[in-house]
Amino acid sequence: MIWNEIESSRREDIEKLQLSRLKDTVDRVYTLTPFYKEKFNTLGLRPEDITTLEDVRKLPFTTKKDLRAHYPFGLFTVPMSEIVRIHSSSGTTGKPTVVGYTKADMDIWDEVMARVYTMAGASSEDIVHNGYGYGLFTGGLGFHNGAEKVGATIIPASGGMTDRQLMLMKDFGATILAATPSFSLHMAEVAKKAGPNYLKDYKLKAGVFGAEPTSKGLKKEVSEAWGIDYHEVYGLSEIIGPGVACSCKESDLLHVFEDHFLFEIIDSKTGEAVPDGKRGELVITSLTKQALPLLRYRTGDITSIIKEPCKCGRTTARMESIVGRADDMLIISGVNVYPSQIEHVIANTEGVTLNYQIIADKKGHLDKLEIHVEVSDEIMSDSLGEMAIIKKTIQSALLNNLYINANVVLVQPRSIARSEGKAVRIVDKRKDNE
Amino acid sequence: MNRIKQLSIFVENKTGQITDVTTLLSNNGLSIKSINLVDSSDFGLLRVIVDDEKKAKEILDENGISLKITDVFAVEIDDHVGSFNDVVTTLSTNNINIEYTYTVSNTKNGAFIFKVNPIEFDKVTQILEEKNIKILKGI
Repeated sequence: MIWNEIESSRREDIEKLQLSRLKDTVDRVYTLTPFYKEKFNTLGLRPEDITTLEDVRKLPFTTKKDLRAHYPFGLFTVPMSEIVRIHSSSGTTGKPTVVGYTKADMDIWDEVMARVYTMAGASSEDIVHNGYGYGLFTGGLGFHNGAEKVGATIIPASGGMTDRQLMLMKDFGATILAATPSFSLHMAEVAKKAGPNYLKDYKLKAGVFGAEPTSKGLKKEVSEAWGIDYHEVYGLSEIIGPGVACSCKESDLLHVFEDHFLFEIIDSKTGEAVPDGKRGELVITSLTKQALPLLRYRTGDITSIIKEPCKCGRTTARMESIVGRADDMLIISGVNVYPSQIEHVIANTEGVTLNYQIIADKKGHLDKLEIHVEVSDEIMSDSLGEMAIIKKTIQSALLNNLYINANVVLVQPRSIARSEGKAVRIVDKRKDNE
Repeated sequence: MNRIKQLSIFVENKTGQITDVTTLLSNNGLSIKSINLVDSSDFGLLRVIVDDEKKAKEILDENGISLKITDVFAVEIDDHVGSFNDVVTTLSTNNINIEYTYTVSNTKNGAFIFKVNPIEFDKVTQILEEKNIKILKGI
């Protein structure tokens, strides 16, 4: 089933629509956002210079830094009276990335999420168990609204409390699971304790999974553990939330909802376009967003796109599952973390810059974060208690500022591995295990 | 007051950490006069008194081992029942807070090592002398 016929339109029709929407968006931000007007003027660019889709390359980039610099609502193009929803990501030192939605934006979000659910085979007959966390994070409410839009019964279970979630899934007869892949697998591990025939208690047929980078192995494990089709959902709050692209039954590649989002793949160092099928950094321009339209947003995600039609009947461009990051961002249980944020928190907590290393690993199927901090003369103490307090203080500062649960381990000075004289800041053991 | 310089050395909670420290000290001809380990589940502190703390600090610093030099004092163990109690009672009746204490046994009768706030050292010297308790110059 295909939710909207645009998904299987002729490519020239899709591109025609994209161009007209791109022009509208460019006019909109030029007129309404001083930030973009200034950028256009610096580049000597006028909205009417955009006459083809390729002209998107003339437009300025937008980065996460730009969003932070205009915290909280500086890049909104509408008055707050038209904003009906705010979401936000975690941020360092209390400055998160804030996004806003008008009523029309919410309709678009519902629409693209309805396409996601339809791709997963969901209809009004289905019961969707939503195990994404509800709150400022776009996951919970994003997966919620789309399920309502297709008329399914939504169970807003939110995150945590595995045993209770399993009980609800059994008792309510959930047919579609929406959750992070790691949490889904964790739930499966717990469900398996009921015995080898544990699946007989569940009616699940498909799942919509996203919010964290997932290896092929993990996808297979989730799919097999629950005996369901695996549909991968890509999205980011800056663009809309979940619902930017999703994989269908026929292919592992994700169909991009191109009538709302214009994709480019660029070389992250030179900014030059990369041909179809080749990997590079994904850059997205919003085509229909009202409250916060972004031009050429640098996602930092590494992927590739192809435009061949899919067996499922859709003609939209398809992206590869994210293969990495252009920067050093880590995703820990769905929360985005930059090493520089961790450094900032440690420096603010202890008043000194300490040498540290971030070690991401898996405990079972859940992410586990360890932060090794070298004991310098400044924090060395003759008291075991004082040293333990340093460890606890850094841990709670990380939790309060970055929403991450990390175990801080004090280690000897210079014990953190160096590469060409520079400390190795990140060790991601999750990658080694794949 | 006769202060004794004690090294408090940070040790990670893993096999071979103490050996690393003691090997460095012995290979450099430093004599360990006393050694005392306290630990938590994650890490520990090795409190060591050596014959040349400056040299020991240099060597440990060079080898990337964290430490802090702390002033402590030693009291000779007078071989009678209640000798430790005499010392701590004297200190506590004079409101001196003992941060930690341990015993060493390499002097003739052994010694008690005490860590108190350094600003109290003169007061400690005075009150212990009044009770004829002997503070050692070294161990």
